[in-house]
Amino acid sequence: MEEEEQQNRPESCENGREDGEAEEQRQQEESVLQFLDSMDGYLTLLDSLSSTLRQGWIDLASARHSMGVSRVTSVLFDLKLHSASTTLHVAEQADSMGEQPHFVLYKWSSSDSGKCGSGEIEIDKRELQQSSSPQLRHRGASPHSELQKEYPAGSTTSPKAYQVQNERFKLLSVFGTLVSPKLHTAQLSFETALGTLVKIANMRSSMLSAFAQVQKQSQATTKMA
Amino acid sequence: MANRSQIPTCNSALIAMIADEDTVTGFLLAGVGNVDLRRKTNYLIVDSKTTVKAIEDAFKEFTTKEDIAIVLISQYVANMIRFLVDSYNKPVPAILEIPSKDHPYDPAQDSVLSRVKHLFSTESVASGRR
Repeated sequence: MEEEEQQNRPESCENGREDGEAEEQRQQEESVLQFLDSMDGYLTLLDSLSSTLRQGWIDLASARHSMGVSRVTSVLFDLKLHSASTTLHVAEQADSMGEQPHFVLYKWSSSDSGKCGSGEIEIDKRELQQSSSPQLRHRGASPHSELQKEYPAGSTTSPKAYQVQNERFKLLSVFGTLVSPKLHTAQLSFETALGTLVKIANMRSSMLSAFAQVQKQSQATTKMA
Repeated sequence: MANRSQIPTCNSALIAMIADEDTVTGFLLAGVGNVDLRRKTNYLIVDSKTTVKAIEDAFKEFTTKEDIAIVLISQYVANMIRFLVDSYNKPVPAILEIPSKDHPYDPAQDSVLSRVKHLFSTESVASGRR
């Protein structure tokens, strides 16, 4: 009986060790899978970005062709003090792979945060008054009630959507009041590209984190061997 | 004791750009342009007259500013300062290499993919088999 017990002890230890190794290998394979998945996502998103940017460049070239080269140029960029309308929120995300940054895009955030005073792009107010779209006329730091007056409750355009349109128009008006529709299309393409870029940034963090995990496990395995 | 987190969090961070005129124009239309009190912009337009030193200085400036979370750099521009880009390893700001009009994206040149590709090199495979 005692001999049987003594025989069983080394066997159970061996089984425990084998279980531990199997678990370790499973974790390693899971990390490798996570890494490959992230890398695939990264490359797919970059491909998508290339297509979106290509469309944006084509639209920009079309706008330049119809408006004239001198009207769509970097010389017209506003160099007066102004904040970005589209910003990022960076948070720390902790998961099984460790800590990694997580990026969130806030499009047209200046319209939400109420920092219109310092964030507005200088525009030719005379051009605005002569604009054929009165609903986009600049009204300074317009209070919510003013917007509701122009867009009653039954209107399909919400005040927030109006503010976003206003921000878009302000940026387009850097190139003049009457701009080619292609410039607006280019603006939308680059907005889409921004969303893709934020996804790429998050996927990149995930990939690097998974890679670090794989390396760590690989080194641990090498040491044990 | 756990190490302090090295990931700086920020509520209203910017996207910086080092790219050609069309790419910068497009992203400015999307609302990422920022000009601070010192009239410094969050972008550098690279053309035929831009020197490598100017690109290096812009890269160093954007990667050390606390309010910048992502730096977009055209891949052909990144190739001009490849040593600097490859030696950068902080999580934030994230450096993203993007294609340009005349230079499509090449995964073989991407800094991040170069960092991880050795996982698939014959050497690493061979060492695993020993």
